[in-house]
Amino acid sequence: MLAVKEEVDEVVAPGELGEFGVLPGHVPFITLLMPGELRYTKGGVERRYIISGGVAEVREDKVSILTDNLEDPASIHTEAARRELEAILEELKNFSGNKKEFEELNRRLKLAQVRAGVKE
Amino acid sequence: MPSLRQIRRKISSVKGTQRIMKAMKLISAVKLQRAQGLLQAFRPYSDSFDEIARNLATRCDPELHPLLRRPEERKKLNLVFMTSDRGLCGSFNSNLIRRIETYISVDAKAYEQVTFMFIGRRGRDYFLRRKAPSRKDYIGVNERNFGEVARKISALLTHEFINGECDEIILVYNYFKSALSQIITFEKLLPIEPIEKIGDSKPVDYIYEPGRSEVLKFVLPKFIEVRLERAILESITSEHAARMSAMENATRNAEDVMRRLTLLFNKTRQSIITKELMDIVNGTEALRKGGME
Repeated sequence: MLAVKEEVDEVVAPGELGEFGVLPGHVPFITLLMPGELRYTKGGVERRYIISGGVAEVREDKVSILTDNLEDPASIHTEAARRELEAILEELKNFSGNKKEFEELNRRLKLAQVRAGVKE
Repeated sequence: MPSLRQIRRKISSVKGTQRIMKAMKLISAVKLQRAQGLLQAFRPYSDSFDEIARNLATRCDPELHPLLRRPEERKKLNLVFMTSDRGLCGSFNSNLIRRIETYISVDAKAYEQVTFMFIGRRGRDYFLRRKAPSRKDYIGVNERNFGEVARKISALLTHEFINGECDEIILVYNYFKSALSQIITFEKLLPIEPIEKIGDSKPVDYIYEPGRSEVLKFVLPKFIEVRLERAILESITSEHAARMSAMENATRNAEDVMRRLTLLFNKTRQSIITKELMDIVNGTEALRKGGME
């Protein structure tokens, strides 16, 4: 879904290998995204979103962030997010699935952590 | 000439039908609005995926991922054919079916084998009656579950393509141009065609993070899924638009029929009155004549 389309000065996104920033004139670049915080500045004003992971492409001074889910941090109910995080931690304790399921759970855990405002 | 009572009954039945059509039109209008909103938000997202996938196909060796496979010989074609489940939407399905019939008898001759996958009951029923080879069909796809369906279908198609069960996959659906116009579209899903090179300059390769194969592994299957989701959503939106205008026309036609019937009703009533009057006049005339003698 299209959420935002804007002329921006800088974009900071959570890449698979850590957070990265993009300024004008960046080389063509494509990366997978982790669940985390997406920030961009425009005329000195910063905006933040929480994304659930996906892929980002940088080409010809254009950044495309493609993600399944995007949330405004202000709209997140902290209490509910914490409870969800706890539920996932509980699930992790009793985990007995295969590697793929573990990765999936890990992703959900990361997202829940970001949503609850807990740093790793 | 039908009796007054017959005409009256006919008028009220047309009126009832018209009421139903009007209601259907309103329902379609609401559904159209919702689907259109979804579609408009979805288009830029899926277009971006398109762009990225084609850019990757241009820059990466087909060896790197099975979905980048570009078979030299295109022998086996799979048509994914999207119609609606229900009728009463004008020529929405019939035009599509007619187009695909021509396509099969002309363009598809170049392939050795053509298989179908159906989304929507109408197309399936039509072709099954004609014993067309079908792999799979999906009925009951709507605005709420299309994402899930797209995921299932894309997994299946990806599997078939990678295993060489088909060399080319084409989506056939109604593209939603506006509420008044939907365009029948044939769109190649796989193989992913690279972008035609402009000039001699070799495209600059990306920097990949965490690595090229990880990126391809994520983006390509997702691209297929998003592309299918988009096509299904286009088809659903078009269906609502087509039904809305069909019902609009039907309501207007019912209006015409009612006007004609009302005219007939009045004429009949008039003629009955005239006849009765004549009887009375004749009767009194006869009495008066009788009295004078």
